[in-house]
Amino acid sequence: MIFGATGDLTHRKLVPALYNLAVDGELPPGVKILGFARRDKSDEEFRSGLEELNRKVSRNGHDEELWSGFVRNIHYHQSEFTDADGYKRLSERLDEIDRERGGKGNRLFYIASAPEFFDDILEQLKAAGLSKAAKGCWSRVIVEKPFGTDLATAQHLNQVVNRTFEEKDTYRIDHYLGKETAQNLMVLRFANSIFEPLWNSRYIDQIQITCSENLGMEGGRGGYYDKAGALRDMVQNHLLQLLSLVAMEPPTDLSADGVRDEKVKVIRSLRQWDSPEKVAQNVVRAQYVAGHVDGKSVPGYREEDRVDPESMTEAYVAVRLMIDTWRWSGVPFYIRMGKQLPKKATEISVHFKSPPCVLFNALPGGVPGGNVLVIRIQPDEGISLRMVSKIPGTSLRLEPVKMDFRYATSFGKASPEAYERLLLDAMAGDATLFARRDEVEEAWRFIDHIEHAWHQSENPPPMAEFVAGTWGPKEADDLLKEDGHEWRRL
Amino acid sequence: MHPELGREVPIGGIDKELRQLWAEDDARTNASLVNLAVYSEKPGSLVENSEAMRELTREHACRALLVGIDRSVEETSITAWITAHCHLSHGQKSVCCEQLSFALTGRATGRLRNTVFAHLNSDLPLILWWQGELSPIFSERFYSLIDRLVYDSAEWANPEESFPKIMEAMEFSSRLVPQDLSWTRSFQFRVSVAALFDDPVAQNALSAVASVEIRYHPSSRMAALQLLAWLVVQANWRDGLELDLADKRQSKGAKSYSFETAAGSAVRATLVADENSAPLGSLVIRAGDVSVEVIREAGSSHLLRRVVAPGHVTESPGPVDSDNPVGSVGEQLSRGGKNSLYVKILPRFQQLLAD
Repeated sequence: MIFGATGDLTHRKLVPALYNLAVDGELPPGVKILGFARRDKSDEEFRSGLEELNRKVSRNGHDEELWSGFVRNIHYHQSEFTDADGYKRLSERLDEIDRERGGKGNRLFYIASAPEFFDDILEQLKAAGLSKAAKGCWSRVIVEKPFGTDLATAQHLNQVVNRTFEEKDTYRIDHYLGKETAQNLMVLRFANSIFEPLWNSRYIDQIQITCSENLGMEGGRGGYYDKAGALRDMVQNHLLQLLSLVAMEPPTDLSADGVRDEKVKVIRSLRQWDSPEKVAQNVVRAQYVAGHVDGKSVPGYREEDRVDPESMTEAYVAVRLMIDTWRWSGVPFYIRMGKQLPKKATEISVHFKSPPCVLFNALPGGVPGGNVLVIRIQPDEGISLRMVSKIPGTSLRLEPVKMDFRYATSFGKASPEAYERLLLDAMAGDATLFARRDEVEEAWRFIDHIEHAWHQSENPPPMAEFVAGTWGPKEADDLLKEDGHEWRRL
Repeated sequence: MHPELGREVPIGGIDKELRQLWAEDDARTNASLVNLAVYSEKPGSLVENSEAMRELTREHACRALLVGIDRSVEETSITAWITAHCHLSHGQKSVCCEQLSFALTGRATGRLRNTVFAHLNSDLPLILWWQGELSPIFSERFYSLIDRLVYDSAEWANPEESFPKIMEAMEFSSRLVPQDLSWTRSFQFRVSVAALFDDPVAQNALSAVASVEIRYHPSSRMAALQLLAWLVVQANWRDGLELDLADKRQSKGAKSYSFETAAGSAVRATLVADENSAPLGSLVIRAGDVSVEVIREAGSSHLLRRVVAPGHVTESPGPVDSDNPVGSVGEQLSRGGKNSLYVKILPRFQQLLAD
């Protein structure tokens, strides 16, 4: 059951993901998909809208025959999210489907509606008895972001969720964790003996996590974004999740809780920027002014559609984080996220310390920079390693070279979309790639200090500006310059 | 419109189109060691530079970015093309380098940085070959991205005004390495001079150098002056007594300079411009009855290196520097490094230039 079935996420991501799972033979044959939403629609109208988008975005293309078999299992259920009768009818319909198909009664609820309906949907599911599975069956819920807007709302939502579903049946989705390279992070670190011995403050100088987008507030997204901002929209969830995968200690096993226990320790160990002064020293927020992206003129953030002309919401944020553990003592982690930057890219770069240079420092040019290991999350998922090499010839001169591994070309088959993997994991009951309650709350605890300094203190740190299409404000460059570092050029 | 530049692509879809380009043929290998951008404001330069890139990619795997700008047109526009230059490696595998070409009109500084340089191959150095005069586009926002800046000071109408811009850029960006093709053109002369002083006869005469004469083609004045600056810096000569006007301009096309060795003896240097000379035609250093000479006849494909002393003549041929800018850029790419010797002589060279 997908709640919010007429929304963009369902059309662009969820149904194409289910279709691709079906094409790859991964979707269990008895699966029925029910879209739950408020608009009045027939099954046919609903299916036709899904087909239109699937043709555009499906990873495996759109095969008429496969689609016609797949789409027969998609239905539409009209109801208000607060209407108890709608849920009662849903329950009856699900029972009927089980009877028809000989299903046991396993149910997966995906809450992809607007966040203000999360509470209502969960409470109504409980009231209709849908959150409790029959004996020998399961009933699970996937909750989309945003999981709260601050610590208090996240705690409240967690209470509502846990009143309705058991924690083991709750899947807080963060689609970044479903991306192939994010999953490969643990493999890279713990299945290759060359990296883990170097993965600490003795050898690593700094780590940067960048998420840049070359879009602004097109398609009316200014309304949501202006209430959220870059820090809450991206850093609290996706980027802190990536940080925890990069920085965590090896888990004792690969169970969901084994991994999540280690991830949450990283978030707990973040040094808290708990005063406006500390926030000013370690965090830069900014808005873009009019500029050019991809050769086109774009407006400034405050001129965007549905954005308050006096908005104090950040469209760019850069944060210096310190993790107070033995492994990471003294190693800065820099996170930056921004809209209207020159290109779309998400990556983690691990910058190793420069060698002592006793041998090559005296050469003309010296050693051109240290080793950099880059884990590209999107696009072109892959991993590259920058090394220094001698230029062929009689003289001894050094230049950086790059070893590059790309998922798209190395394995001869495309990586599944993040939602494919995550939907399948939720059906299989594997919560490893989903956030646990304590992870979400600890992340909000860290973020809340910054939000409070920006919006509730008497002397809030200033809002910087940058020209759209550039790599962010000068203040963000200065943040790294203080440590003798600079942002990696993507 | 420009078949030589490949397929015209929408600016927002360049990465996607590049992926498609590679997906079309599994037999090709994409190779890249540097980002090599070529900037020009000369009409028709994109096609010329695409041809230059075809040559350069034979030896230097890179992602090529060609930028052609027409600032005289008021309307702002940007058009892009992609293609690949492929060469057989060891007669078997086809190794290819991507080329992205951009034609811009109107005010371009911001768009150049935001749009063109958003397509760099990350982690690899950006080498920018700037062709022609340093226009207002050459600003802080632009050069802060560059690792190596290749230019040809011989193309500048007022090098006295352009060199301070290079110095300013170096001051702003500590990683920027300047590479002047005029300096590249004097490489084999410098190597030859250094090699000749391995000869014990020449070495013994070094402290007694009394005169230097450099003959050059008028189009290569920068190379000649830089060669002189190199000699002055490496030999540790100070400025000598002020020459009078007659001494400074001995004859049409010649200019003299006065220096003093560490031991206090005078050295006179003369630069002679000669329409019939090779770009750098000759360098003759005289010390008493010893003469150290590097000579290149116009059109010759080798240098003559010679030490002449009473009862002692040694001669050997040497290779010449490329006269063609593409060849000079290729040589620079092969050498890499920080070009620290050039940086070292730049202040002295600027003094000589202003003299």
